[in-house]
Amino acid sequence: MIVIGEKINGSLSKVKAIIRERNAQDLLDLARRQAEAGAGYIDVNVATGEGSADDEVEAMTWAVKALQEEIDTPLSIDSADAGVIEAGLEARNGRPSLINSVNAEPQRLREIVPLASHFEAPLVALAMDETGIPPSVEGRLEACQTIAAACQRAGIRLEHIFFDPLVLPVSADTAQGLVTLEALKAVKQAFVGAKSVLGISNVSYGLPQRAMLNAAFLHMAVFAGLDAAILDPTDARLMAAVRTAEVLTGKDRHCRRYTRFARANR
Amino acid sequence: MSKKEVIEKIAFNVIQGRVESEDEGFDEGFQGQPGVVELVEEALKEETDPRTIVIDGLTKPMEIVGEKFEREEYLIPDMLASAECVGAAMDLLSPHLIKSGVESKGKFVICTVAGDLHDIGKNIVAIMLKGAGYEVLDLGADVPTARIIETVKKERPPFLGLSALLTTTMRIMGDIMEGLEREGLRNTVKVLIGGAPTSQGFARQIGADAHCKDAFEAIHTLKAMTA
Repeated sequence: MIVIGEKINGSLSKVKAIIRERNAQDLLDLARRQAEAGAGYIDVNVATGEGSADDEVEAMTWAVKALQEEIDTPLSIDSADAGVIEAGLEARNGRPSLINSVNAEPQRLREIVPLASHFEAPLVALAMDETGIPPSVEGRLEACQTIAAACQRAGIRLEHIFFDPLVLPVSADTAQGLVTLEALKAVKQAFVGAKSVLGISNVSYGLPQRAMLNAAFLHMAVFAGLDAAILDPTDARLMAAVRTAEVLTGKDRHCRRYTRFARANR
Repeated sequence: MSKKEVIEKIAFNVIQGRVESEDEGFDEGFQGQPGVVELVEEALKEETDPRTIVIDGLTKPMEIVGEKFEREEYLIPDMLASAECVGAAMDLLSPHLIKSGVESKGKFVICTVAGDLHDIGKNIVAIMLKGAGYEVLDLGADVPTARIIETVKKERPPFLGLSALLTTTMRIMGDIMEGLEREGLRNTVKVLIGGAPTSQGFARQIGADAHCKDAFEAIHTLKAMTA
């Protein structure tokens, strides 16, 4: 399982302050803690909701440079703005990066797919289009097909696409848990070799004791073929779910990661 | 790398339980570095004496693994990973050992008795005995008593190892001892038993030659028996 650490996100007030103050020390600390907890990628989202698009470009360049000076963990360059993603990839200067994200909107495809092709970076593909998140499995699969076609035209290999069938809170619609899991299965079947990713914790939004639901949902998703998860790796309960799911589905040779995790959390 | 360094690396990786280069190992950060298979191949290419590879590269580190397991620093999958290293190395080394005229220390028939499917411990013992120079014939798990007697009659092994992990199936060991007696084979073979519910006392009770609590005790027992 590839864990994408979600903690560097400009919408969180602590991170907002770090970005505003250009506090490299605290930024690095957030990244290091996630890397040590098992993150394979550190997501970097510097959109604070303040300032201009140019400010976000500058903040991304600063954050990427500050992080890569000290840590080798690959970064996930996360923005709703293609210009910010480009600036992040530019600053990476060929180091391993993940583009977060593209979706099936024509404009977004036109902007992001060429970046993935030019920088030879894998990318997250959200199963949604200009009308929003399709409520059905078929709709989500269709959005993925649109993205896959655009990627194929640009010469991007399926192995470089992380399809995200999207997680919606079950508190608002209890049918949505299964829609995500079924869409995940359908995507894995339709695009052999492609990877899949989910932002797990969204499933429990609006409900108490979220960790319980997150862990259970992660287990189900891994059984359905999940390859990567965007989550908080410093949450020991979630990482326990990742490590137990891996070992129980034969994805952890010699139980190495599980036993190492168990030793560290004794 | 000198020959000695290669052997030290083999030993290190047996302890880490890294069969191949992509394996993680007990500690972090070794992925991509050569594992036991690649290192043994290198040692053979450099014409290192296969006996040295076995003794210094496999047997000695495996004893350390046993100690770590004893202390509960290592768990079953760690032990199995290290045993897998020894097994993979022995597959590569066997033809070379035969070529360099190393004689087998004797045939060792091993199995888990009828009605019992537990084979983790038995498999570790089998691999370790292979590493210690015995010609191991592993009949598997849940092996009918008649087949064990038959095999002893046909193969005439000097050693027979029986494993049982259940209090219900350990009694079968007694039946096997009686069967050997009845067929006049009892004096042709030394019987070693093992498995969680068995004991020294139980071995005496059924007339087995030895009880061994693990693979290492089995090797020591065999050494003492053949001395």
